[in-house]
Amino acid sequence: MGIPTTPMVTRAFKELAILNVAKRGMPHLRITFTPHPVAAKTPAQLRAYVEGNDPVSGRPMMKEIVDALTVPLSDQEQKTGIVKVSVGPEMYGPDTPKNLQQFYHDNGMTDFLPIVIPTEEAVEEMFAGTSHKPDEQVGTMAGGAYPPWSYTVRQVAINAVMAGCQPQHFPVILAIASSGTPSLMSSTNSFAYAAVINGPIRDKLQMNYGIGALGPFAPSNAVIGRAWTLVSKNLANGGIPGDTYLGSQGNNLNYNNLIMAENEAASPWVPLHVQKGFKAEESVVSLFRGLGIVPGQGARGTSTDTPKYEEQFSDLFNVFTGFFGGLVVADPLIAANLKERGYDTKDRLIDWLYKNTTQTVKDYKSRDFAYGFDYPRALKGLEPYKTWYAMPDDAVIPRWPHRDDINVVVLGGQTNAFFQGGSLSYTVSVSIDKWA
Amino acid sequence: MNRRNMLSLLGMSPALLAGLPAPAQPAEAQANGKPTRLSSTQAKIEGLNPKGTPPPIQLIPMAPRLDSLDGKTVWLVDTGFDGGGYLLEQIQLWFKTNMPAVQTIFRRKAGPYFEDDPALWKEIKGTGHAAIMAIGH
Repeated sequence: MGIPTTPMVTRAFKELAILNVAKRGMPHLRITFTPHPVAAKTPAQLRAYVEGNDPVSGRPMMKEIVDALTVPLSDQEQKTGIVKVSVGPEMYGPDTPKNLQQFYHDNGMTDFLPIVIPTEEAVEEMFAGTSHKPDEQVGTMAGGAYPPWSYTVRQVAINAVMAGCQPQHFPVILAIASSGTPSLMSSTNSFAYAAVINGPIRDKLQMNYGIGALGPFAPSNAVIGRAWTLVSKNLANGGIPGDTYLGSQGNNLNYNNLIMAENEAASPWVPLHVQKGFKAEESVVSLFRGLGIVPGQGARGTSTDTPKYEEQFSDLFNVFTGFFGGLVVADPLIAANLKERGYDTKDRLIDWLYKNTTQTVKDYKSRDFAYGFDYPRALKGLEPYKTWYAMPDDAVIPRWPHRDDINVVVLGGQTNAFFQGGSLSYTVSVSIDKWA
Repeated sequence: MNRRNMLSLLGMSPALLAGLPAPAQPAEAQANGKPTRLSSTQAKIEGLNPKGTPPPIQLIPMAPRLDSLDGKTVWLVDTGFDGGGYLLEQIQLWFKTNMPAVQTIFRRKAGPYFEDDPALWKEIKGTGHAAIMAIGH
Protein backbone atom coordinates (compact mmCIF):
# COMPACT_ATOMS: atom_id res chain seq x y z
CA MET A 1 0.00 0.00 0.00
CA GLY A 2 2.99 2.26 0.48
CA ILE A 3 2.24 3.34 4.05
CA PRO A 4 3.02 1.51 7.30
CA THR A 5 0.51 -1.29 7.68
CA THR A 6 0.20 -4.10 10.17
CA PRO A 7 -2.08 -7.12 9.95
CA MET A 8 -3.79 -8.61 12.97
CA VAL A 9 -4.28 -12.37 13.05
CA THR A 10 -5.65 -14.71 15.68
CA ARG A 11 -3.22 -17.05 17.38
CA ALA A 12 -4.73 -20.11 15.68
CA PHE A 13 -3.37 -18.91 12.36
CA LYS A 14 0.14 -18.01 13.47
CA GLU A 15 1.89 -20.51 11.20
CA LEU A 16 -0.34 -19.67 8.26
CA ALA A 17 0.28 -15.95 8.66
CA ILE A 18 4.05 -16.32 8.87
CA LEU A 19 4.19 -18.63 5.86
CA ASN A 20 1.81 -16.47 3.89
CA VAL A 21 3.76 -13.26 4.26
CA ALA A 22 6.98 -15.12 3.46
CA LYS A 23 5.57 -16.61 0.28
CA ARG A 24 4.30 -13.20 -0.73
CA GLY A 25 7.71 -11.62 -0.33
CA MET A 26 7.55 -9.97 3.08
CA PRO A 27 9.05 -12.58 5.44
CA HIS A 28 9.56 -10.03 8.20
CA LEU A 29 6.18 -8.34 8.07
CA ARG A 30 5.19 -7.23 11.57
CA ILE A 31 2.13 -9.21 12.56
CA THR A 32 0.17 -8.63 15.76
CA PHE A 33 -1.59 -11.67 17.17
CA THR A 34 -4.81 -11.82 19.20
CA PRO A 35 -6.28 -14.67 21.19
CA HIS A 36 -8.49 -17.04 19.22
CA PRO A 37 -11.32 -16.73 18.32
CA VAL A 38 -12.57 -13.20 17.93
CA ALA A 39 -15.88 -14.35 16.47
CA ALA A 40 -18.91 -14.61 18.78
CA LYS A 41 -17.26 -12.59 21.55
CA THR A 42 -18.86 -9.81 23.57
CA PRO A 43 -17.50 -6.24 23.44
CA ALA A 44 -16.13 -6.75 26.96
CA GLN A 45 -14.27 -9.90 25.90
CA LEU A 46 -12.81 -8.16 22.86
CA ARG A 47 -11.83 -5.15 24.98
CA ALA A 48 -9.96 -7.56 27.26
CA TYR A 49 -8.13 -8.90 24.20
CA VAL A 50 -7.13 -5.37 23.18
CA GLU A 51 -5.98 -4.41 26.67
CA GLY A 52 -4.17 -7.73 27.11
CA ASN A 53 -1.03 -9.21 25.62
CA ASP A 54 -0.22 -10.50 22.17
CA PRO A 55 -0.37 -14.27 22.89
CA VAL A 56 2.63 -14.94 20.67
CA SER A 57 5.08 -12.23 21.75
CA GLY A 58 3.73 -11.84 25.29
CA ARG A 59 3.91 -8.05 24.92
CA PRO A 60 0.93 -5.69 25.29
CA MET A 61 -1.08 -5.96 22.10
CA MET A 62 -1.52 -2.26 21.51
CA LYS A 63 2.19 -1.62 22.07
CA GLU A 64 2.85 -4.26 19.42
CA ILE A 65 0.60 -2.39 17.02
CA VAL A 66 2.07 1.03 17.72
CA ASP A 67 5.61 -0.35 17.46
CA ALA A 68 4.76 -2.13 14.23
CA LEU A 69 3.89 1.23 12.71
CA THR A 70 6.62 3.36 14.25
CA VAL A 71 9.82 1.42 15.04
CA PRO A 72 12.34 2.06 12.24
CA LEU A 73 12.90 -0.71 9.73
CA SER A 74 15.82 -3.10 9.95
CA ASP A 75 17.97 -3.89 6.92
CA GLN A 76 16.19 -7.22 6.58
CA GLU A 77 12.83 -5.53 6.36
CA GLN A 78 14.00 -3.38 3.47
CA LYS A 79 15.51 -6.14 1.35
CA THR A 80 14.59 -6.54 -2.28
CA GLY A 81 15.43 -9.22 -4.83
CA ILE A 82 14.15 -12.56 -6.01
CA VAL A 83 14.34 -15.78 -4.02
CA LYS A 84 14.18 -19.09 -5.82
CA VAL A 85 12.23 -21.80 -4.01
CA SER A 86 13.55 -25.34 -4.19
CA VAL A 87 11.41 -28.46 -4.09
CA GLY A 88 14.38 -30.78 -3.88
CA PRO A 89 16.05 -33.19 -6.28
CA GLU A 90 14.41 -34.62 -9.35
CA MET A 91 14.90 -38.18 -8.18
CA TYR A 92 14.84 -39.99 -4.82
CA GLY A 93 16.93 -43.04 -4.07
CA PRO A 94 18.14 -45.47 -5.13
CA ASP A 95 16.51 -47.42 -2.34
CA THR A 96 14.16 -50.31 -1.77
CA PRO A 97 10.51 -49.90 -2.79
CA LYS A 98 9.53 -50.23 0.87
CA ASN A 99 11.86 -47.46 2.00
CA LEU A 100 10.85 -45.23 -0.88
CA GLN A 101 7.20 -45.80 -0.07
CA GLN A 102 7.88 -44.66 3.47
CA PHE A 103 9.87 -41.69 2.20
CA TYR A 104 6.94 -40.41 0.12
CA HIS A 105 4.61 -40.83 3.10
CA ASP A 106 6.97 -39.13 5.54
CA ASN A 107 7.37 -36.14 3.30
CA GLY A 108 3.67 -35.52 2.80
CA MET A 109 3.50 -36.53 -0.85
CA THR A 110 0.78 -39.18 -0.50
CA ASP A 111 -2.68 -39.69 0.97
CA PHE A 112 -1.01 -42.19 3.33
CA LEU A 113 -2.37 -45.16 1.43
CA PRO A 114 0.17 -47.26 -0.49
CA ILE A 115 1.31 -45.66 -3.72
CA VAL A 116 2.88 -46.92 -6.91
CA ILE A 117 6.49 -45.73 -6.85
CA PRO A 118 6.84 -43.33 -9.79
CA THR A 119 9.87 -44.77 -11.50
CA GLU A 120 11.13 -43.29 -14.74
CA GLU A 121 9.89 -46.38 -16.56
CA ALA A 122 6.37 -46.16 -15.12
CA VAL A 123 6.13 -42.48 -15.96
CA GLU A 124 7.32 -43.12 -19.50
CA GLU A 125 4.53 -45.67 -19.89
CA MET A 126 1.99 -43.08 -18.71
CA PHE A 127 2.94 -40.82 -21.63
CA ALA A 128 1.34 -43.38 -23.95
CA GLY A 129 -2.04 -42.09 -22.77
CA THR A 130 -1.64 -38.64 -24.33
CA SER A 131 -0.41 -37.02 -27.51
CA HIS A 132 0.96 -34.08 -25.56
CA LYS A 133 4.69 -33.71 -25.02
CA PRO A 134 6.13 -34.40 -21.56
CA ASP A 135 7.52 -30.90 -21.18
CA GLU A 136 4.30 -29.13 -22.20
CA GLN A 137 2.90 -26.83 -19.56
CA VAL A 138 -0.49 -28.08 -18.37
CA GLY A 139 -1.52 -25.28 -16.07
CA THR A 140 -1.20 -23.69 -12.66
CA MET A 141 -2.86 -24.46 -9.35
CA ALA A 142 -2.82 -22.67 -6.03
CA GLY A 143 -2.65 -24.72 -2.85
CA GLY A 144 -4.13 -22.24 -0.45
CA ALA A 145 -4.15 -18.46 -0.66
CA TYR A 146 -0.75 -18.36 -2.29
CA PRO A 147 0.64 -17.69 -5.74
CA PRO A 148 -0.01 -20.78 -7.88
CA TRP A 149 2.53 -23.43 -8.82
CA SER A 150 2.93 -24.60 -12.41
CA TYR A 151 3.37 -28.08 -13.83
CA THR A 152 4.05 -30.02 -16.99
CA VAL A 153 2.61 -33.19 -18.50
CA ARG A 154 5.53 -35.07 -16.97
CA GLN A 155 4.84 -33.75 -13.48
CA VAL A 156 1.16 -34.67 -13.77
CA ALA A 157 2.17 -38.14 -15.01
CA ILE A 158 4.28 -38.75 -11.92
CA ASN A 159 1.26 -38.15 -9.72
CA ALA A 160 -0.99 -40.25 -11.94
CA VAL A 161 1.42 -43.17 -11.56
CA MET A 162 1.48 -42.74 -7.78
CA ALA A 163 -2.34 -42.88 -7.68
CA GLY A 164 -2.42 -46.15 -9.58
CA CYS A 165 -3.61 -44.77 -12.91
CA GLN A 166 -3.07 -46.54 -16.21
CA PRO A 167 -2.23 -44.64 -19.42
CA GLN A 168 -5.88 -44.72 -20.52
CA HIS A 169 -6.79 -42.66 -17.43
CA PHE A 170 -4.18 -40.02 -18.14
CA PRO A 171 -6.28 -37.71 -20.37
CA VAL A 172 -8.83 -37.40 -17.56
CA ILE A 173 -6.14 -36.49 -15.03
CA LEU A 174 -4.61 -33.98 -17.44
CA ALA A 175 -8.02 -32.42 -18.06
CA ILE A 176 -8.63 -32.03 -14.33
CA ALA A 177 -5.12 -30.67 -13.78
CA SER A 178 -5.53 -28.21 -16.63
CA SER A 179 -8.55 -26.71 -14.87
CA GLY A 180 -6.30 -25.42 -12.11
CA THR A 181 -8.86 -26.63 -9.57
CA PRO A 182 -7.40 -28.25 -6.46
CA SER A 183 -9.46 -30.85 -4.61
CA LEU A 184 -8.11 -29.64 -1.30
CA MET A 185 -9.40 -26.21 -0.34
CA SER A 186 -7.44 -24.18 2.19
CA SER A 187 -10.60 -22.84 3.84
CA THR A 188 -11.32 -23.42 7.53
CA ASN A 189 -14.45 -25.13 6.27
CA SER A 190 -13.86 -28.70 5.22
CA PHE A 191 -14.54 -28.71 1.51
CA ALA A 192 -15.46 -31.62 -0.72
CA TYR A 193 -14.96 -31.84 -4.48
CA ALA A 194 -16.74 -33.76 -7.19
CA ALA A 195 -16.04 -34.59 -10.82
CA VAL A 196 -18.83 -35.62 -13.17
CA ILE A 197 -17.58 -37.53 -16.19
CA ASN A 198 -19.62 -37.71 -19.37
CA GLY A 199 -19.19 -39.08 -22.85
CA PRO A 200 -17.56 -42.15 -24.43
CA ILE A 201 -14.60 -42.10 -22.05
CA ARG A 202 -16.85 -43.60 -19.35
CA ASP A 203 -17.17 -46.86 -21.24
CA LYS A 204 -13.64 -46.81 -22.56
CA LEU A 205 -12.45 -46.74 -18.96
CA GLN A 206 -15.17 -49.17 -17.84
CA MET A 207 -16.32 -46.65 -15.27
CA ASN A 208 -19.10 -47.72 -12.97
CA TYR A 209 -22.28 -45.68 -13.33
CA GLY A 210 -24.61 -48.53 -12.38
CA ILE A 211 -24.97 -50.41 -9.09
CA GLY A 212 -22.72 -48.82 -6.49
CA ALA A 213 -21.60 -46.04 -8.81
CA LEU A 214 -20.30 -43.93 -5.95
CA GLY A 215 -18.69 -46.84 -4.11
CA PRO A 216 -15.35 -48.66 -4.34
CA PHE A 217 -16.37 -51.00 -7.12
CA ALA A 218 -14.41 -49.97 -10.21
CA PRO A 219 -10.73 -49.19 -10.67
CA SER A 220 -11.24 -46.11 -12.86
CA ASN A 221 -13.66 -44.46 -10.43
CA ALA A 222 -11.12 -45.06 -7.68
CA VAL A 223 -7.88 -43.89 -9.23
CA ILE A 224 -9.14 -40.79 -11.03
CA GLY A 225 -10.31 -39.17 -7.83
CA ARG A 226 -7.23 -40.25 -5.95
CA ALA A 227 -4.97 -38.77 -8.59
CA TRP A 228 -6.81 -35.43 -8.26
CA THR A 229 -5.93 -35.32 -4.58
CA LEU A 230 -2.27 -36.21 -5.17
CA VAL A 231 -2.12 -33.59 -7.93
CA SER A 232 -3.52 -31.05 -5.47
CA LYS A 233 -1.00 -32.00 -2.82
CA ASN A 234 2.12 -32.24 -4.90
CA LEU A 235 1.69 -29.98 -7.90
CA ALA A 236 0.09 -27.14 -5.94
CA ASN A 237 1.64 -27.73 -2.50
CA GLY A 238 -1.88 -28.10 -1.14
CA GLY A 239 -3.15 -30.13 1.78
CA ILE A 240 -0.56 -29.15 4.36
CA PRO A 241 -2.44 -28.80 7.66
CA GLY A 242 -1.88 -25.39 9.19
CA ASP A 243 -0.42 -24.00 5.99
CA THR A 244 -2.32 -24.76 2.82
CA TYR A 245 -5.12 -26.70 4.50
CA LEU A 246 -7.14 -25.38 7.43
CA GLY A 247 -10.38 -27.37 7.35
CA SER A 248 -11.32 -27.76 10.98
CA GLN A 249 -12.63 -31.32 10.70
CA GLY A 250 -11.42 -32.36 7.28
CA ASN A 251 -13.52 -34.28 4.80
CA ASN A 252 -13.34 -38.01 4.16
CA LEU A 253 -14.33 -37.40 0.55
CA ASN A 254 -10.93 -35.83 -0.03
CA TYR A 255 -9.34 -39.28 -0.28
CA ASN A 256 -10.64 -39.86 -3.77
CA ASN A 257 -13.33 -37.21 -4.15
CA LEU A 258 -16.78 -37.80 -5.58
CA ILE A 259 -16.21 -39.26 -9.00
CA MET A 260 -19.50 -39.56 -10.84
CA ALA A 261 -19.89 -41.11 -14.26
CA GLU A 262 -23.36 -40.17 -15.42
CA ASN A 263 -25.60 -43.08 -16.44
CA GLU A 264 -26.42 -41.50 -19.79
CA ALA A 265 -28.09 -44.56 -21.33
CA ALA A 266 -30.55 -44.95 -18.47
CA SER A 267 -31.28 -41.26 -18.07
CA PRO A 268 -34.31 -39.75 -19.81
CA TRP A 269 -32.60 -36.37 -19.90
CA VAL A 270 -29.62 -34.87 -21.70
CA PRO A 271 -26.33 -35.50 -19.91
CA LEU A 272 -24.63 -32.81 -17.91
CA HIS A 273 -21.90 -32.03 -20.46
CA VAL A 274 -24.50 -31.35 -23.15
CA GLN A 275 -26.20 -28.93 -20.77
CA LYS A 276 -22.85 -27.18 -20.47
CA GLY A 277 -22.49 -26.74 -24.22
CA PHE A 278 -20.52 -29.79 -25.31
CA LYS A 279 -21.52 -32.36 -27.89
CA ALA A 280 -22.87 -35.69 -26.70
CA GLU A 281 -20.01 -37.57 -28.34
CA GLU A 282 -17.37 -35.53 -26.53
CA SER A 283 -15.77 -36.76 -23.32
CA VAL A 284 -15.89 -34.11 -20.64
CA VAL A 285 -15.19 -33.74 -16.94
CA SER A 286 -17.23 -31.21 -14.97
CA LEU A 287 -16.03 -30.11 -11.55
CA PHE A 288 -17.95 -29.16 -8.44
CA ARG A 289 -16.92 -27.87 -5.04
CA GLY A 290 -18.76 -27.39 -1.79
CA LEU A 291 -19.25 -29.03 1.55
CA GLY A 292 -20.38 -32.53 0.68
CA ILE A 293 -23.28 -34.76 -0.17
CA VAL A 294 -25.99 -36.38 1.95
CA PRO A 295 -28.49 -39.17 1.26
CA GLY A 296 -32.12 -38.22 0.77
CA GLN A 297 -33.93 -41.55 0.75
CA GLY A 298 -36.89 -42.02 3.03
CA ALA A 299 -38.61 -38.68 2.65
CA ARG A 300 -42.34 -38.49 2.12
CA GLY A 301 -44.02 -40.04 -0.85
CA THR A 302 -41.45 -42.66 -1.71
CA SER A 303 -43.79 -45.55 -0.89
CA THR A 304 -46.85 -44.11 -2.63
CA ASP A 305 -47.91 -44.24 -6.25
CA THR A 306 -47.29 -40.51 -6.58
CA PRO A 307 -43.90 -39.84 -5.04
CA LYS A 308 -42.98 -36.18 -4.87
CA TYR A 309 -39.30 -36.45 -5.51
CA GLU A 310 -38.94 -32.80 -6.31
CA GLU A 311 -40.31 -31.93 -2.88
CA GLN A 312 -37.90 -34.37 -1.31
CA PHE A 313 -35.00 -32.71 -3.10
CA SER A 314 -36.22 -29.37 -1.85
CA ASP A 315 -36.51 -30.64 1.74
CA LEU A 316 -32.96 -31.88 1.57
CA PHE A 317 -31.56 -28.66 0.17
CA ASN A 318 -33.29 -26.67 2.88
CA VAL A 319 -30.76 -27.95 5.38
CA PHE A 320 -27.94 -26.47 3.32
CA THR A 321 -26.77 -22.88 3.48
CA GLY A 322 -27.50 -22.02 -0.13
CA PHE A 323 -24.04 -20.54 -0.36
CA PHE A 324 -23.05 -23.49 -2.48
CA GLY A 325 -25.05 -24.84 -5.35
CA GLY A 326 -27.47 -27.72 -5.13
CA LEU A 327 -26.52 -30.92 -6.92
CA VAL A 328 -29.23 -33.56 -7.32
CA VAL A 329 -27.76 -37.03 -7.81
CA ALA A 330 -30.71 -39.21 -8.74
CA ASP A 331 -31.07 -42.86 -9.62
CA PRO A 332 -32.49 -43.44 -13.12
CA LEU A 333 -35.70 -44.77 -11.50
CA ILE A 334 -36.34 -41.33 -10.07
CA ALA A 335 -35.46 -39.56 -13.28
CA ALA A 336 -37.88 -41.79 -15.21
CA ASN A 337 -40.66 -41.14 -12.71
CA LEU A 338 -40.12 -37.41 -12.82
CA LYS A 339 -40.26 -37.48 -16.60
CA GLU A 340 -43.55 -39.38 -16.48
CA ARG A 341 -44.87 -36.66 -14.19
CA GLY A 342 -44.04 -33.87 -16.60
CA TYR A 343 -40.42 -33.01 -15.95
CA ASP A 344 -39.40 -33.79 -19.49
CA THR A 345 -36.10 -31.93 -19.12
CA LYS A 346 -33.61 -31.31 -16.35
CA ASP A 347 -34.28 -27.61 -16.83
CA ARG A 348 -37.93 -28.01 -15.92
CA LEU A 349 -36.95 -29.74 -12.68
CA ILE A 350 -34.34 -27.08 -11.97
CA ASP A 351 -36.94 -24.35 -12.52
CA TRP A 352 -39.24 -25.97 -9.99
CA LEU A 353 -36.49 -26.36 -7.42
CA TYR A 354 -35.35 -22.76 -7.82
CA LYS A 355 -38.87 -21.40 -7.32
CA ASN A 356 -39.91 -23.71 -4.52
CA THR A 357 -36.82 -24.07 -2.36
CA THR A 358 -37.01 -20.92 -0.30
CA GLN A 359 -36.00 -19.22 2.91
CA THR A 360 -36.87 -16.06 4.79
CA VAL A 361 -34.62 -13.05 4.59
CA LYS A 362 -34.09 -13.33 8.34
CA ASP A 363 -32.77 -16.88 8.05
CA TYR A 364 -30.64 -15.91 5.11
CA LYS A 365 -29.01 -12.98 6.84
CA SER A 366 -28.28 -15.01 9.94
CA ARG A 367 -25.86 -17.30 8.09
CA ASP A 368 -22.19 -16.53 8.37
CA PHE A 369 -21.63 -17.17 4.68
CA ALA A 370 -24.13 -14.41 3.94
CA TYR A 371 -22.34 -12.03 6.25
CA GLY A 372 -18.88 -12.83 4.94
CA PHE A 373 -19.59 -13.09 1.24
CA ASP A 374 -23.02 -11.87 0.18
CA TYR A 375 -23.35 -8.79 2.37
CA PRO A 376 -20.22 -7.17 0.89
CA ARG A 377 -21.57 -8.01 -2.55
CA ALA A 378 -24.81 -6.27 -1.59
CA LEU A 379 -22.81 -3.23 -0.55
CA LYS A 380 -21.21 -3.23 -3.99
CA GLY A 381 -24.65 -3.24 -5.57
CA LEU A 382 -24.54 -6.78 -6.94
CA GLU A 383 -27.84 -8.59 -7.43
CA PRO A 384 -29.71 -10.37 -6.04
CA TYR A 385 -27.83 -9.60 -2.83
CA LYS A 386 -28.60 -5.86 -2.93
CA THR A 387 -32.33 -6.53 -3.27
CA TRP A 388 -32.35 -9.31 -0.69
CA TYR A 389 -30.63 -7.16 1.93
CA ALA A 390 -33.20 -4.38 1.34
CA MET A 391 -36.17 -6.71 1.89
CA PRO A 392 -38.01 -7.16 5.23
CA ASP A 393 -37.01 -10.05 7.45
CA ASP A 394 -40.18 -12.04 6.79
CA ALA A 395 -39.91 -11.82 3.01
CA VAL A 396 -39.38 -15.16 1.26
CA ILE A 397 -36.52 -15.50 -1.19
CA PRO A 398 -34.98 -18.38 -3.18
CA ARG A 399 -32.47 -20.63 -1.45
CA TRP A 400 -29.94 -19.95 -4.20
CA PRO A 401 -29.02 -16.61 -5.76
CA HIS A 402 -29.25 -17.97 -9.30
CA ARG A 403 -31.17 -20.71 -11.07
CA ASP A 404 -27.90 -21.98 -12.54
CA ASP A 405 -26.73 -22.84 -9.04
CA ILE A 406 -28.76 -26.07 -9.35
CA ASN A 407 -27.55 -29.09 -11.32
CA VAL A 408 -28.83 -32.61 -11.85
CA VAL A 409 -26.86 -35.80 -12.50
CA VAL A 410 -28.36 -39.25 -13.08
CA LEU A 411 -26.48 -42.34 -11.96
CA GLY A 412 -27.10 -45.62 -10.20
CA GLY A 413 -28.17 -49.18 -10.87
CA GLN A 414 -31.96 -48.87 -10.48
CA THR A 415 -32.11 -51.24 -7.53
CA ASN A 416 -33.68 -48.45 -5.44
CA ALA A 417 -35.20 -45.04 -6.09
CA PHE A 418 -32.30 -43.52 -4.25
CA PHE A 419 -31.02 -40.00 -4.44
CA GLN A 420 -28.45 -37.81 -2.79
CA GLY A 421 -28.18 -34.07 -2.50
CA GLY A 422 -24.92 -32.23 -2.75
CA SER A 423 -24.07 -28.84 -1.29
CA LEU A 424 -21.86 -28.45 -4.32
CA SER A 425 -21.32 -25.65 -6.81
CA TYR A 426 -20.54 -26.25 -10.46
CA THR A 427 -17.25 -24.61 -11.40
CA VAL A 428 -16.04 -25.67 -14.84
CA SER A 429 -16.22 -28.31 -17.57
CA VAL A 430 -13.08 -29.41 -19.40
CA SER A 431 -12.71 -31.47 -22.56
CA ILE A 432 -10.98 -34.78 -21.93
CA ASP A 433 -10.57 -35.39 -25.65
CA LYS A 434 -8.20 -32.43 -25.92
CA TRP A 435 -5.80 -34.20 -23.61
CA ALA A 436 -5.94 -37.60 -25.29
CA MET B 1 8.14 -22.40 16.26
CA ASN B 2 10.23 -19.53 14.93
CA ARG B 3 10.20 -18.17 11.42
CA ARG B 4 13.37 -19.99 10.50
CA ASN B 5 11.75 -23.35 11.24
CA MET B 6 8.51 -22.29 9.58
CA LEU B 7 10.31 -21.41 6.39
CA SER B 8 12.01 -24.78 6.34
CA LEU B 9 8.51 -26.27 6.13
CA LEU B 10 7.98 -24.36 2.93
CA GLY B 11 10.72 -26.21 1.22
CA MET B 12 12.48 -22.85 1.44
CA SER B 13 15.87 -22.33 2.83
CA PRO B 14 15.96 -20.18 5.96
CA ALA B 15 18.49 -18.28 3.87
CA LEU B 16 15.37 -16.45 2.72
CA LEU B 17 15.63 -14.56 5.97
CA ALA B 18 18.94 -13.21 4.80
CA GLY B 19 17.67 -12.54 1.31
CA LEU B 20 19.99 -15.08 -0.24
CA PRO B 21 19.00 -17.46 -3.00
CA ALA B 22 17.80 -20.75 -1.54
CA PRO B 23 20.04 -23.69 -2.43
CA ALA B 24 18.55 -26.91 -3.70
CA GLN B 25 17.94 -29.18 -0.73
CA PRO B 26 18.41 -32.90 -0.44
CA ALA B 27 15.19 -34.88 -0.39
CA GLU B 28 15.78 -35.89 3.20
CA ALA B 29 15.54 -32.29 4.38
CA GLN B 30 12.33 -31.38 2.60
CA ALA B 31 8.69 -31.01 3.29
CA ASN B 32 7.73 -31.81 6.86
CA GLY B 33 11.30 -31.90 8.07
CA LYS B 34 11.29 -35.59 8.94
CA PRO B 35 14.46 -37.08 7.56
CA THR B 36 14.03 -40.54 6.15
CA ARG B 37 17.03 -42.73 5.71
CA LEU B 38 17.06 -44.41 2.34
CA SER B 39 18.82 -47.67 2.94
CA SER B 40 18.19 -51.37 2.69
CA THR B 41 19.78 -54.55 1.51
CA GLN B 42 16.97 -55.23 -0.98
CA ALA B 43 16.92 -54.41 -4.70
CA LYS B 44 16.93 -50.68 -5.14
CA ILE B 45 15.04 -48.37 -7.45
CA GLU B 46 14.65 -44.64 -7.90
CA GLY B 47 11.44 -42.63 -7.61
CA LEU B 48 10.68 -39.29 -9.24
CA ASN B 49 9.90 -36.12 -7.37
CA PRO B 50 6.14 -35.45 -7.78
CA LYS B 51 6.26 -31.78 -6.83
CA GLY B 52 5.17 -28.96 -9.09
CA THR B 53 7.19 -25.86 -9.78
CA PRO B 54 6.78 -23.01 -7.31
CA PRO B 55 7.09 -19.43 -8.49
CA PRO B 56 10.09 -17.43 -7.32
CA ILE B 57 9.44 -15.02 -4.49
CA GLN B 58 9.88 -11.31 -5.15
CA LEU B 59 10.97 -9.70 -1.90
CA ILE B 60 8.99 -6.55 -1.13
CA PRO B 61 10.49 -3.93 1.18
CA MET B 62 8.24 -2.64 3.93
CA ALA B 63 7.12 0.99 3.80
CA PRO B 64 9.13 3.39 5.99
CA ARG B 65 7.74 3.68 9.50
CA LEU B 66 6.36 6.82 11.12
CA ASP B 67 8.22 8.74 13.83
CA SER B 68 5.07 8.81 15.91
CA LEU B 69 1.33 8.26 15.54
CA ASP B 70 0.52 11.60 17.18
CA GLY B 71 -1.52 13.76 14.87
CA LYS B 72 -1.69 10.96 12.32
CA THR B 73 -4.64 9.20 10.72
CA VAL B 74 -4.74 5.44 11.13
CA TRP B 75 -7.18 3.42 9.04
CA LEU B 76 -8.76 0.34 10.62
CA VAL B 77 -9.72 -2.08 7.87
CA ASP B 78 -12.13 -4.96 8.45
CA THR B 79 -11.61 -7.74 5.91
CA GLY B 80 -15.05 -9.22 6.59
CA PHE B 81 -14.35 -12.34 8.61
CA ASP B 82 -16.61 -12.89 11.58
CA GLY B 83 -15.64 -10.76 14.55
CA GLY B 84 -12.91 -8.73 12.88
CA GLY B 85 -15.00 -5.57 12.71
CA TYR B 86 -15.98 -5.78 16.36
CA LEU B 87 -12.36 -6.21 17.38
CA LEU B 88 -11.44 -3.08 15.42
CA GLU B 89 -14.21 -1.16 17.15
CA GLN B 90 -12.51 -1.91 20.46
CA ILE B 91 -9.16 -0.84 19.05
CA GLN B 92 -10.76 2.38 17.89
CA LEU B 93 -12.05 2.96 21.43
CA TRP B 94 -8.60 2.20 22.82
CA PHE B 95 -7.00 4.87 20.65
CA LYS B 96 -9.67 7.36 21.65
CA THR B 97 -8.97 6.74 25.33
CA ASN B 98 -5.24 6.16 25.35
CA MET B 99 -3.91 8.03 22.30
CA PRO B 100 -6.47 10.77 21.58
CA ALA B 101 -4.07 12.53 19.25
CA VAL B 102 -4.50 9.68 16.80
CA GLN B 103 -7.41 9.95 14.39
CA THR B 104 -8.88 6.61 13.34
CA ILE B 105 -11.13 5.74 10.44
CA PHE B 106 -12.97 2.41 10.33
CA ARG B 107 -13.91 0.83 7.02
CA ARG B 108 -15.06 -2.59 5.94
CA LYS B 109 -13.24 -3.62 2.79
CA ALA B 110 -15.51 -3.97 -0.22
CA GLY B 111 -16.28 -7.47 -1.45
CA PRO B 112 -15.59 -10.82 0.19
CA TYR B 113 -12.30 -11.27 2.02
CA PHE B 114 -10.53 -12.78 -0.98
CA GLU B 115 -11.31 -9.92 -3.34
CA ASP B 116 -8.89 -7.06 -3.74
CA ASP B 117 -10.12 -3.52 -3.07
CA PRO B 118 -7.71 -1.22 -4.92
CA ALA B 119 -10.04 1.76 -4.58
CA LEU B 120 -9.83 1.52 -0.81
CA TRP B 121 -6.05 1.13 -0.81
CA LYS B 122 -5.83 4.28 -2.95
CA GLU B 123 -8.13 6.15 -0.59
CA ILE B 124 -6.15 5.05 2.46
CA LYS B 125 -2.85 6.05 0.90
CA GLY B 126 -4.30 9.43 -0.04
CA THR B 127 -5.84 10.24 3.29
CA GLY B 128 -4.06 8.16 5.91
CA HIS B 129 -0.63 7.69 7.41
CA ALA B 130 -0.90 4.06 8.54
CA ALA B 131 -3.29 1.13 8.51
CA ILE B 132 -4.27 -1.82 10.68
CA MET B 133 -5.98 -4.77 9.01
CA ALA B 134 -7.93 -7.15 11.18
CA ILE B 135 -8.83 -10.67 10.25
CA GLY B 136 -11.41 -12.46 12.30
CA HIS B 137 -12.44 -16.05 13.01
